[in-house]
Amino acid sequence: MMAMKPDRERPRAAAGDFDLKRLQELLYRLIAAPCGVGEGLAANGGLPPGNLEAILNGDDRLSARERLEIYANAYFYRLLDVLKEEFAATLMIVGDVNFHNLVTGYLLEYPPTEPSILHAGRNLPAFIRTHSLSRRWPYLPDLARLERSLLEVFHGPAAPVLDASTMRQVPPHEWPALILRTHPASRILDLEWCVDLVMRAAEETGTRIEPPSGPTSVLVWRQGSRAHYRRLERGERAALALARDGVAFAMICEAIAAEAIPDENPAALINRLLARWLSDGLVMAVGPWPASPAGAAS
Amino acid sequence: MSHCEFPALGFGVGLRRPHYSEIVDTHPRMDWFEVTTENFMVEGGRPLEVLERVRERYPIVMHGVSLSIGSTDPINHDYLRTLDAMARRFEPAWISDHLCWTGVGGHNLHDLLPLPYAEEVVSHVAGRLREVQDILGRRILIENVSSYMAFACSTLTEWEFLGAVADEADCGILLDINNIFVNAFNHGFEAEQYIDSVPVERVKQFHLAGHQDHGRYLLDTHDHPVRAEVWRLYERAVRRFGAVSTLIEWDDRIPEFRELQAVADEGRSRCDSAMRGAAQPGIDAHR
Repeated sequence: MMAMKPDRERPRAAAGDFDLKRLQELLYRLIAAPCGVGEGLAANGGLPPGNLEAILNGDDRLSARERLEIYANAYFYRLLDVLKEEFAATLMIVGDVNFHNLVTGYLLEYPPTEPSILHAGRNLPAFIRTHSLSRRWPYLPDLARLERSLLEVFHGPAAPVLDASTMRQVPPHEWPALILRTHPASRILDLEWCVDLVMRAAEETGTRIEPPSGPTSVLVWRQGSRAHYRRLERGERAALALARDGVAFAMICEAIAAEAIPDENPAALINRLLARWLSDGLVMAVGPWPASPAGAAS
Repeated sequence: MSHCEFPALGFGVGLRRPHYSEIVDTHPRMDWFEVTTENFMVEGGRPLEVLERVRERYPIVMHGVSLSIGSTDPINHDYLRTLDAMARRFEPAWISDHLCWTGVGGHNLHDLLPLPYAEEVVSHVAGRLREVQDILGRRILIENVSSYMAFACSTLTEWEFLGAVADEADCGILLDINNIFVNAFNHGFEAEQYIDSVPVERVKQFHLAGHQDHGRYLLDTHDHPVRAEVWRLYERAVRRFGAVSTLIEWDDRIPEFRELQAVADEGRSRCDSAMRGAAQPGIDAHR
């Protein structure tokens, strides 16, 4: 690809007597040790004679161990800060000390593997489900799942959304065959607790509430540049689940109508839900389409 | 290494979330922006939308933190594919990352860890850099990292190591002036000697930032103004390397954008003075 330039004159140092891979593995274990470098050193059998000072330089200002502890602290607290921001409501519920201990255990079980730190919290909801904190706060796994979903939807794929004016351009007799699909940056969460209420209280008033239990479906979606969530209303859950992979509008109507209550006009329910979805930027048209649908990416 | 390959962009700042709206809505005065590559390795949403809007008006540089060029893990080709796709989409003036390792065994410490400064490590890193550059079809810049530990097995100085890797890989250098100052204190060497020893033709960008003084060591935090001693070191660097592109890094306790503009302006003024040979001579590093 490109011409190599000759090395400049430089001191030719003797080959060092070490194995870089083993060195990095050792340092990784010490830095990521859950209770600090000291515990890592006590548990580690991979140190050479002379212990850490045989590997790292220390001086009268900072010992080798103190120098490594700077990295160990940075590792933990950087991730703790990221997770505190991402799971702000979960943190509010359990408090600083519990959250600190939760993250300590989490990083042991799920150490980061991805290039982006945005992925570091991906498994925290699953970890919380197995953690003792979920006995004290049984709704905690659902709450963490909602918080994580908001972040993932925020960074989800962009796609053109269908708006009401575009929909109105289609002759009504062609509506049943239209294939609609929910926006890829949206998801339905089936939860055991009404944790949307916990989130709302935390966000709007900074207060902690205990949510009622009971199956709840919450929609998480992105509109414009913001991620939103709301509880699904009757008729929406089945219809939106159908639309996840793209389905004819007629089938969506059937799914909604099936949940209409006695004396309710199914058509009115369908119209109201469709208007809401279009207003929320929740659906996209994937065809067949008589004209080029203009939609803004979201 | 030609100037066309790494043009002098002037003075830039990092593209950071608190300033997104102001930059997109008001197009403030700034020569260029540096983006942390991994923060934009997502499928969609506001960060990418902002980056697209910013790119319409400003040059950008993609600065990564997870290439882990010094790791003994295999090179992450998925990461490189994503990086390459981003580069094709946003056409950065160049791509940079750090002379460090960030993890091993498939794990990522999300930190920039130093390497032993030894010939074998020069070969190891340079070989990987060459592979990365071949895949990306372009030369990249590598940055000297701040560090708090040094290896007993090192046989080269940090600047010898940096220059040797850049020569052997035929890549450019992003010289972080604050990191040199921090390391000079933390490891007890002369910052001026470092500046005076880095190969001139390799340096294509500077970083300037603030740090915290913890008494027994300096911590590279990017949350304070650039210290006077670092500015003077910068002037020395300008006299040696010329008016290469300079970035003001501020990643925590981020001030108003107009304050960053003022720091960039100060950099420009000091750079002009140094180029005219009117600046103060460099001083000893804080020891």
